[in-house]
Amino acid sequence: MSVRTYEADVLVIGGGATGSGVMRDLALRGINCILIDRKDLNAGASGGNHGLLHSGGRYATADAETAAECRHEGDILKRLAPECIDDCGGLFVAVVGDDEAFAAKFPEHCRVAGIPCEALSAAEAREREPALPEAILAAYAVPDATIDPFRIVLENVGHAERLNDSSYLPHMEIEGFEIIDGTVAKALCRDRRSGAAVEIRARQFVNASGAWAEKVARLAGCSDVSLLYSKGTLLISNTRVTNGVVNRLRLPDDGDILVPGGTVSLLGTSSVTVDDPDGIAPTVPEVDRILAEGAAMLPVLNETRFVRAFSGVRPLLKSAGSEADGRKANRGFALFDHEDQGLSNFATVAGGKFTTFRLMAEKAGDLVAARLGNAEPCKTNLEPLPSGDALRWTEPGAAARDWYKRADPTDMVLCECEMVARSAVDTILADAPGAEDHMSLKAIALRSRIGKGACQGAFCSMRVTSHLYDRGVYDSPDGLRQMRDFVNERYKGIRPVLWGAQMPQTELAEILHCGLAGMDLAAAEEGADSK
Amino acid sequence: MKRGTRKIETQLAVIGTGIAGFAASIFARQRGLDVAQFGHSGAMAYTTGYLDLLGVHDRRVRQDPWAALDELRQDEPLHPMSGLSNTSIRAAFDGFTDALGEMGIGYTKAGDRNLSGLLPNGLAKPTFSVPDTMLPGITALESGARTLVVDFEGLQGFSAKAFEVNFRDRWPALRSARLTFPGMENRQVFPEVLARSLETSVTQQALAELIRPLLNGVEYVGLPAILGMHMPDEVRARMEEIIGVRLFEIPTIPPAVPGIRLRETFERSFPEMGVKLEPQLKVAEVDFRSSGATLHLHGPMEDLEVEASAVLLATGRFLSGGLKSDQESLSETLLDLPISQPQDRDEWFRQEYLDPRGHPINRLGVEVDGRFQPVAADGAPIHERLFAAGAILAHQDWVRQRCGAGLAIATAHAATEAAAAALG
Amino acid sequence: MGAHSGGNTLDFLKVANDLLPDGASYDACVGCGICASGCPASGLFGMDPRRFINMAMLGMNEELSTTPWVWACTQCKRCAYLCPMGIDVSQLVGAARGAWATEDKPKGIVRSCAAQKLDESTSAMGLMSEDFVEIVEETLEELHENQPRFADLKVPIDKKGAKFVINQNSREPAVEPEEMAPLWKILDYVGADWTYSSKGWAAENFCMFTGDLDSWKEMVTTRVDAMNALESEIWINTECGHSFFTIWQGIEKFGLTANFEAESLVTYYAQWIREGKLPVNSDWNKNNVKFTVQDPCQLVRKSIGDQAAEDLRFVVKTLVGEENFVDMQPCRSANYCCGGGGGFLQAGMASERRAYGKRKFDQVIATEADYVLTPCHNCHSQIEDVGDHFGGAYTVTHLWTLICLSLGILGPDERKYLGPDLADINLPEEE
Repeated sequence: MSVRTYEADVLVIGGGATGSGVMRDLALRGINCILIDRKDLNAGASGGNHGLLHSGGRYATADAETAAECRHEGDILKRLAPECIDDCGGLFVAVVGDDEAFAAKFPEHCRVAGIPCEALSAAEAREREPALPEAILAAYAVPDATIDPFRIVLENVGHAERLNDSSYLPHMEIEGFEIIDGTVAKALCRDRRSGAAVEIRARQFVNASGAWAEKVARLAGCSDVSLLYSKGTLLISNTRVTNGVVNRLRLPDDGDILVPGGTVSLLGTSSVTVDDPDGIAPTVPEVDRILAEGAAMLPVLNETRFVRAFSGVRPLLKSAGSEADGRKANRGFALFDHEDQGLSNFATVAGGKFTTFRLMAEKAGDLVAARLGNAEPCKTNLEPLPSGDALRWTEPGAAARDWYKRADPTDMVLCECEMVARSAVDTILADAPGAEDHMSLKAIALRSRIGKGACQGAFCSMRVTSHLYDRGVYDSPDGLRQMRDFVNERYKGIRPVLWGAQMPQTELAEILHCGLAGMDLAAAEEGADSK
Repeated sequence: MKRGTRKIETQLAVIGTGIAGFAASIFARQRGLDVAQFGHSGAMAYTTGYLDLLGVHDRRVRQDPWAALDELRQDEPLHPMSGLSNTSIRAAFDGFTDALGEMGIGYTKAGDRNLSGLLPNGLAKPTFSVPDTMLPGITALESGARTLVVDFEGLQGFSAKAFEVNFRDRWPALRSARLTFPGMENRQVFPEVLARSLETSVTQQALAELIRPLLNGVEYVGLPAILGMHMPDEVRARMEEIIGVRLFEIPTIPPAVPGIRLRETFERSFPEMGVKLEPQLKVAEVDFRSSGATLHLHGPMEDLEVEASAVLLATGRFLSGGLKSDQESLSETLLDLPISQPQDRDEWFRQEYLDPRGHPINRLGVEVDGRFQPVAADGAPIHERLFAAGAILAHQDWVRQRCGAGLAIATAHAATEAAAAALG
Repeated sequence: MGAHSGGNTLDFLKVANDLLPDGASYDACVGCGICASGCPASGLFGMDPRRFINMAMLGMNEELSTTPWVWACTQCKRCAYLCPMGIDVSQLVGAARGAWATEDKPKGIVRSCAAQKLDESTSAMGLMSEDFVEIVEETLEELHENQPRFADLKVPIDKKGAKFVINQNSREPAVEPEEMAPLWKILDYVGADWTYSSKGWAAENFCMFTGDLDSWKEMVTTRVDAMNALESEIWINTECGHSFFTIWQGIEKFGLTANFEAESLVTYYAQWIREGKLPVNSDWNKNNVKFTVQDPCQLVRKSIGDQAAEDLRFVVKTLVGEENFVDMQPCRSANYCCGGGGGFLQAGMASERRAYGKRKFDQVIATEADYVLTPCHNCHSQIEDVGDHFGGAYTVTHLWTLICLSLGILGPDERKYLGPDLADINLPEEE
């Protein structure tokens, strides 16, 4: 059997913010890329964060350099990708029991890092955020904002694809590299769905695989990338709790930030050092601790319905003293040219923050362009990020507003919680990055709000699956297996927040998925077959 | 301005309006008891219409539910059905389906084997008694008959195509088609709306006209469950006559017709049966005394006070409000009955959603003795006149075990028997 | 009607929160759609009850504050009846209505409310107190003249200390005064100690439908004051749905003091029949004319509950014969709103209202009944209208018509709401 092969100027490994950013950066310089991911877009930290576009306030005290970087990059993104950003502002709030001396130094630290910071009275703070408690020791307003991490990555990829036929291949796992005389000739990959071997030839290779960057570098024989894995867990509420970002004014700890995510809020974030970036999931104790801490700052969280928890792994660069506590690690990034490892066309960009992904991509792009003899400068700091019809459905509420505005009675709503219409799904099937490939329920959900509302996919998994059969996207029992995989995956995030209003919701889901769709029996049967 | 409190008396007050509650009222009436039933509409609207007895035991699909029940008694002696004999379970089932038949919904009689009930996604489930409107589909599958399955534009979550594709290997003579339901052009439609429309002969005729040209020699036509709401067997018979082939219904995702049909059938028939039914009112409070209990209910304008000689609790689980939880623990909502449970929420649910063992929380619930009386930790009944039945009971996992109706009907039967005995 | 530009944008999650615990936590929604499936307004303007909740959750406050659907939802509370969580969308709809700028609200409702506020008579058709008194007196005079059997019949107005105060829908005095007579005859027949009140006599409250709480309160206050002043024991609401709900709910909601009980005329019909005071039977129905009833949401589901439905059936079965009665399905507390409620009938949205009413029409047709009886004026008009529109051969009539028919006291000019099949049945003997 012949091996499927692809060829491009550059192979970018890792479909997160950085990888997609590198792809677009290079495409803007006229360089053709292939972007691959072992899973799909934002499968790592880029999809496992709270979507905060840092003002830098969070790092003002401990890491002025990162704080300033955040501030600068945040401004660029607000200017060039406004549709991905909710410029909602943020507060830093100290409540009873917090260190008042720490709080008092905050404005000065912000000033040093160049971050605007306005002191508010308790009454002013509560006017902005009525959910805050009476007893506030200190409150400062900073220009925090939020970013839709899915939309911006989809837009990066979508733009690159349109610019110069750069392409994206999901579910493509790197298994090794063919290296000849210090030059990587091709990447040896496997299509994880078909199991087929795939080879990708390129002149330059960029490892932007986030928490997996160390592993990928090792596949190329490089031992210079050394990462610390810090697991962070967040909770998602059913509705938006606050108008803007609310940070606890203290050294970073669990449950000290609540970030609006359009129509919901995200409460985080824990930090636990883990050995392996794979196989992480939020746990009950983590959730309880985050919620207890969060409720100290915003008591309303005790009454809030949470629909899900999720975890991401921060890929942090190892440095002295960071081993024990990920929070103390530098949040900066590094670009490895690997020349001291004996490779001339392989680079790794690792570490950093979501907020600084563009800068990371710029630095990697500069290196790769220079290596290719391309003199075009970086344009991502000047060129607005265009959106597209298939790229805008991850924004909470966007599908609902769009559907309502179009008022087309023939356009059925497939996901009622988030009001995602058939037309939106069809747009994604036709044009979203990855569409040329087989687009499963999970892939559609990643590119939209399907499965993200209160029912967490209990109903829409079945409704979208029906639609995919109708459309001929599914033509075998594999569609049912995809549906099972999808609800299984959703459950991992539901499990730790199962109490209160989520209990009837989950009971109903089980009635649907087991009683009506027979998923448990089908799963048991397949399990038996595979043994 | 409330009109004050209306007071009624009854021998047995049934709290809950799921299958268990309705079955309990039927059995109590059959025993000649004076019955009143209360509760909010609850979770019955989510049923497929199939009545399961025991379809899965020890993680395997069972063809013989009676043999599976024998095993259940060995393996799960605390299961609420384990204390009941096959004879009494069969009697309960027959009593329930006979009553349904009299109310206008035909069901198959309790047999010796489970049936393969068709599911909307092209799979089958082990079930025990099915509505007459669904039975021909099972026959068609078994015989591999030439069959057309139809779905409707605008009807969400039911794809005839998916049904066809997933049954293709076992049922090659199956075809699918899509129609626009008469008078429902260019709009989202709910099965309930189609079913109500099919109650009129105009729509029956119009739909039949649309189906006829598609037949092409098929022996059966399958439709989502929409064949009328209140006289499904009659609607099916009329449609079969016009179309000229056998028709059958396939369950759909909620909100689906079979559950609404059951609920409305009970609501319609109970007043005639002499059951005082208040399906809208939730019981707010119960005061027990030695000879019975007083129930307090709050209506929009009028409160209700019920003097009952015995109380049967059939309030179900979380979805129907019988149980609730906070971050720490589970509790029973009306009487705060004790629920034995693990210390830690982490132990409620397994790591894998579809773990065939089911989630431990599903087996938590109200503990009862052999007379279906809720008991305290010491095993003594909490109140002399309190009984419980259905999904609220501990030591069962009705969803995974495919025993929902069996559990509801059999325990309602046994609990009413015990209540009747207590009432002399 | 289109979306409006004026008015306030409400924060619906906050509104929902303020309505707790009555409205039940909207946050508890499991998204099952049983509400939407069971709501005849689903699909109108792209909306349904589940979508209303979801859009509130999604913060779509502008859309919810402007959607004309709030005037198509009749606030019948069937969604709350069905919801396993008891979520009541009608309360959010009421708040949304209230937030519309008055000039953008449906003119029919607004005008009627304005008319009600003109005078203490509270009539939506603009009848002043003195007009009402005059019309009653004239009608009574004609009755005395034309039907000598009732020459002594009295219609007391403002009779202090009468046991019952009874209200009167404006439609009769304004448009068809002869339709008041059957009720007078019934009251006379049972020897009731009753009176009209010249103030607050009108049995309608469009101010409630506008969502303007102050006006609703004003309406109810005028009526409660009038009734309190008459020192009557019981206020009987005539054959009308919403005017019953508006009073008792208004008294609760606004904390008013009422020195009387609120009852429905249907309850008394049933009681008088049971007591033998109204010796009606179905002997007249020799041709087995078939009847069904429409349970007014405002009277049954939203107020008294199935007890009222029970009384209604008892009255009707006695009147037409058990074998000639066919229930619509579903019925009683689970009944569908006909689409005439909540001001929809007066909102100028005929095509949407009829789309809503199609379900009621199908229900009626499925019974194969010749007549629909309903103790509600809005139900009456709507069911009649959808029958005309969709081609139904049924007739809609009042209970009082049939009661008097059965008693043999229904005059020749009181048969407007009978079909030709009953036009000549049981005519009173010429005197």
